[in-house]
Amino acid sequence: MAATPETKTLTENQALAAINADYEQRYGFHDAENYLYKAPKGLNREIVEKISEFKSEPQWMREFRLKALDHFMSRPQPTWGSPLLAEVDYNDIHYFVRASEKPGRSWDDVPEDVKRTFDRLGIPEAERKFLSGVGAQYESEVVYHQVREDLEKQGVIFKDMDSGLREHEDLVREHFATVIPPNDNKLAALNSAVWSGGSFVYVPEGVHVEMPLQAYFRINTENMGQFERTLIIAEPGSYVHYVEGCTAPTYSSSSLHSAVVELIAKPGARIRYTTVQNWSTNVFNLVTKRAVAQEDATVEWVDCNLGSRLTMKYPSVYLMGERAHGEILSIAFAGKGQHQDAGGKIIHAAPNTTSNIFAKSISKDGGRGSYRGLLEIAKGAHGSRSKVVCDALLLDEHSRSDTYPTIRIGEDDVNVGHEATVSKVGDDQLFYLMSHGIPEDEASKLIVNGFIEPITKELPMEYAVEMNRLIELQMEGSIG
Amino acid sequence: MAEIIDVCPVAELPPGERKLVEWEDLEIGVFNCGGQLFAIEDRCSHDNGPLAEGEFDPESCTVECPRHGSLFDLRTGQPKTLPAYVPVDTYPVIIEDETIKLEVE
Repeated sequence: MAATPETKTLTENQALAAINADYEQRYGFHDAENYLYKAPKGLNREIVEKISEFKSEPQWMREFRLKALDHFMSRPQPTWGSPLLAEVDYNDIHYFVRASEKPGRSWDDVPEDVKRTFDRLGIPEAERKFLSGVGAQYESEVVYHQVREDLEKQGVIFKDMDSGLREHEDLVREHFATVIPPNDNKLAALNSAVWSGGSFVYVPEGVHVEMPLQAYFRINTENMGQFERTLIIAEPGSYVHYVEGCTAPTYSSSSLHSAVVELIAKPGARIRYTTVQNWSTNVFNLVTKRAVAQEDATVEWVDCNLGSRLTMKYPSVYLMGERAHGEILSIAFAGKGQHQDAGGKIIHAAPNTTSNIFAKSISKDGGRGSYRGLLEIAKGAHGSRSKVVCDALLLDEHSRSDTYPTIRIGEDDVNVGHEATVSKVGDDQLFYLMSHGIPEDEASKLIVNGFIEPITKELPMEYAVEMNRLIELQMEGSIG
Repeated sequence: MAEIIDVCPVAELPPGERKLVEWEDLEIGVFNCGGQLFAIEDRCSHDNGPLAEGEFDPESCTVECPRHGSLFDLRTGQPKTLPAYVPVDTYPVIIEDETIKLEVE
């Protein structure tokens, strides 16, 4: 039954209110600040030295940070991507906040108020049920870390990055910043200067970690900057699936999240990295993620972006060895006031390499979704195959979708496909479903669910359920 | 066809120093890594920006691209870190009559 204009507006407003109410209750709350240390706002050499000193780091890491700081200071703020980038005020951010002395291995070691937060978010419960290991980062540092004993016995390392550096310095030094050097871009330089927390994962040759390792990132403070650093090394023939989730309280002023994630899949290894990003809409999410896949290795990024004010994130895979495979599944949902500038990059640097990029974006209530992608086939990468599909769904006339695909091909004997579609949930689609007795709201949800299904089916079950729930919530009353 | 070009007298390029030379439309960086001399094209294979002006580490015999941070091995021209993944051109260095020379083509 068609709604009258008045009831339509009412329903939409109610639905929007419901979205905020739910985020507030589930993720948007914040705790009292009871910190061991909170750096003053702004960034300078002294703060970087202080972070390094707090962590009792080796001299080379301290020098690495300071050099990265110089890079950060000397580079201009990027002007491409989104006009919202101009709103980032680097002087209005706390670059380091310490909530706990050291990461606990037992949930009892975690400070009471932090524990309550993660209890509310369901973290330890999740660990017991279906994970091989879990890490929880609160503000700048990891407050809790645990990995299953049997995996530890097989030589699997799953630590917070600070402990990884302390306990496995040689391994870290050999691989750290080889995939993303500090000078790669301004935000990678910033992360390199002030990084704190994140995960260090090492999977020995031939070991398959059957259940996912999970990290959960939480910002609590207003005007906080979170700069985790993650490095995953999968030795030949090994397999690991890493899942990360992130939320923050809803504040009226901005926070910044700028991670660097490096993945190294050695010959025949497979790494799957799943992100469900659900930051509150005051968070700028500017992340650099890049992977190397050596001979016969596979890297898959499953990247879901629901939250944040602005996300700029293009996970990439460098296919460096023959027959390596890269896969990027990206989904972005841009609601009111949001810009999701997502996508991916695949570089075919060796022969007979294969890749797929599937990107989907949904924009509604004036939100903006962009796909920005690069597919490069280097000279000599003969026999390579790639398929890029990017689809956008617009739910109303105020929303926007852009596609910025770049394809560079330096070899003749290759097979590359690119498909792009933009669609609007049309009256005829709705009419068709409604003529089969499906109410209008249900019909539009069905259309959206069908649109994102190829990606949600790749998520672990509990995440797929959560994702569908979130999408449904955001869809409430969107068409009426 | 290969051609030999002069760079400078040996004494003008001591260990830890570098020199840029031009030949036709090529720009080349010549580096002294602890007494051993190496020459690479002054062009990063990532985005064609200048390379040889970047941070030079004579100990590890590397130069870091000033634009995006790729680290190149001066002995082989191979990138040791991303985002560059294609090696840059290298040139044989010859010392003759106390003069550093390059073989270019």
